[in-house]
Amino acid sequence: MQEADLTEQLEQPGAATAALNGDPAESATAVDPADPAAAPSEAPMIVFEAVTKVYDPNVVALREASFVIEKGEFVFLVGPSGSGKSTIMRLLLKELDPTDGRIIVGGRELARLRRSKVPMLRRNLGCVFQDFKLLTDRTAYDNVAYALKVQGDSKTQIRAKVPEILALVGLGSKMTNVPHELSGGEQQRVSIARAFVNHPPLLICDEPTGNLDPDTSVGIMQLLYRINRTGTTVVMATHDREMVDKMRKRVIALEEGVVVRDERRGGYG
Amino acid sequence: MRARLFVTEAFRSIAANLSTSVAAVMTVLIGMFLLGLFIALGSWVISWTNHVKKDLVVDVYFCTELTCGTEATTKEINAVKLQLDQNPDVKSYKFVSKDDAWEEMKDRFPELTENAPRNPLPASYEVIPEDADQVQAIAASLQPPPVGVETVKYGEKKAERVLQVAKIIGGIFLVGSLILLVASTILIANTIRLSIFSRRREIEVMKLVGASNWFVRAPFMLEGLLCGLAGSILAVVLLLLAKELALPGIMGRIESPGDIQAWNFPVVALILIVMSLLVGAFGSGITLRRFLRI
Repeated sequence: MQEADLTEQLEQPGAATAALNGDPAESATAVDPADPAAAPSEAPMIVFEAVTKVYDPNVVALREASFVIEKGEFVFLVGPSGSGKSTIMRLLLKELDPTDGRIIVGGRELARLRRSKVPMLRRNLGCVFQDFKLLTDRTAYDNVAYALKVQGDSKTQIRAKVPEILALVGLGSKMTNVPHELSGGEQQRVSIARAFVNHPPLLICDEPTGNLDPDTSVGIMQLLYRINRTGTTVVMATHDREMVDKMRKRVIALEEGVVVRDERRGGYG
Repeated sequence: MRARLFVTEAFRSIAANLSTSVAAVMTVLIGMFLLGLFIALGSWVISWTNHVKKDLVVDVYFCTELTCGTEATTKEINAVKLQLDQNPDVKSYKFVSKDDAWEEMKDRFPELTENAPRNPLPASYEVIPEDADQVQAIAASLQPPPVGVETVKYGEKKAERVLQVAKIIGGIFLVGSLILLVASTILIANTIRLSIFSRRREIEVMKLVGASNWFVRAPFMLEGLLCGLAGSILAVVLLLLAKELALPGIMGRIESPGDIQAWNFPVVALILIVMSLLVGAFGSGITLRRFLRI
């Protein structure tokens, strides 16, 4: 019921994904497994319902933000620094709790999620950050393996999955390097590999290209796009105007904590 | 399975943060060495004061012809005995007859007793109090002296001084131990805090990729435990060296009767090790709490 109401606030969610699939520039003719049009009964990936976040003492980071992100979507969050992009990311990870409003991720309301279940949420939710957030004293292999260890994967499983995902992101030959031996782009690839090794249904990226030069950024974007094509929902906060304009994906624009624009195939603005 | 993972994680982290690990071990080492030294010294001094206290007795001297004009009768002696029996402060007493006293005198001062025409010494009770502090009270309960008792002595001056010194020493030991205990705990806790603070980003990352609190905490606690163990074992080794090498040199110069002894070394060692383990593990666990709230 609730979800139906919410989706009405946006213009036909199905159309958006259809547009994504039909985008000739991306040559995305492959079947999108999470196409909402094909499976209309599926619940949305993320629902933000009048979410307000006030930091102490009185800084409003997010003001009644509402939006719905369907499964399989690729969404840019754009806006100047301090507009609330990172707050949305941290709310999704339940690093923060909203002051007001409801957040539903993968059908679960985060406010009802017990503290002890937060690790479970995060294992189903890959995250990529501007500063990579790698464990600096571990090799690329061990960084990715850690994400599997925390959920109790066996050594055999780890040995099978980690090289495969590192090869996928193009780091098959640098598995034993520690982060400072890798370039920024390579470190971000490790971090993406770590985020994606569990094949989570949702990948959230907080300015993943913010520290990278344009050429490297393109490579990272291609990687994220490929991940999105496997059916993974990707939400990406970014400053990268050129990238947003080129990709022609859904854009949610924020200004001073307010959603000012939500376009199906938007540009940076 | 998990346990093995935690152990490897703990060792990996000790190796990766070698300088902080060494710092933690050293802090434990210093704290525990000082504490061990203090416990050994303190328990030795307390044992010494107890030894001195043992000399504190109340002597009840009975009348003799020389002092009162008549010898104390058996009846009078028994009356005092009854009174001592009823006094709860009295631990035990020993009757020293005139002959016993004379024999002892002969042993100690043969030249004085050689020419004595008869035994001038009084019979007496040597009363050992339950607690050395009670000598005065026992003596007071026999004032004024019952019939047949010439005088009651308890070495007033000496007793007072010994008791006072013992009290002061006991107090210093207690306060000193507490200060050292608190100081070394704070020192160790601080080292743990620094080490964890320097790794708060690592903890944040672990939490963000979905590690549960215990998954982050267990290796840290294990690490604290291992550092505590290493530090305290080193401290015990140093104490042992001090005991074996330095102590004979010192003790050779101090007159020390056999019943004065520091606490058993193994007991002190055990206390130090157990304390270090607890402080190491729980110190880490508790300090971590603040950083796990992500």
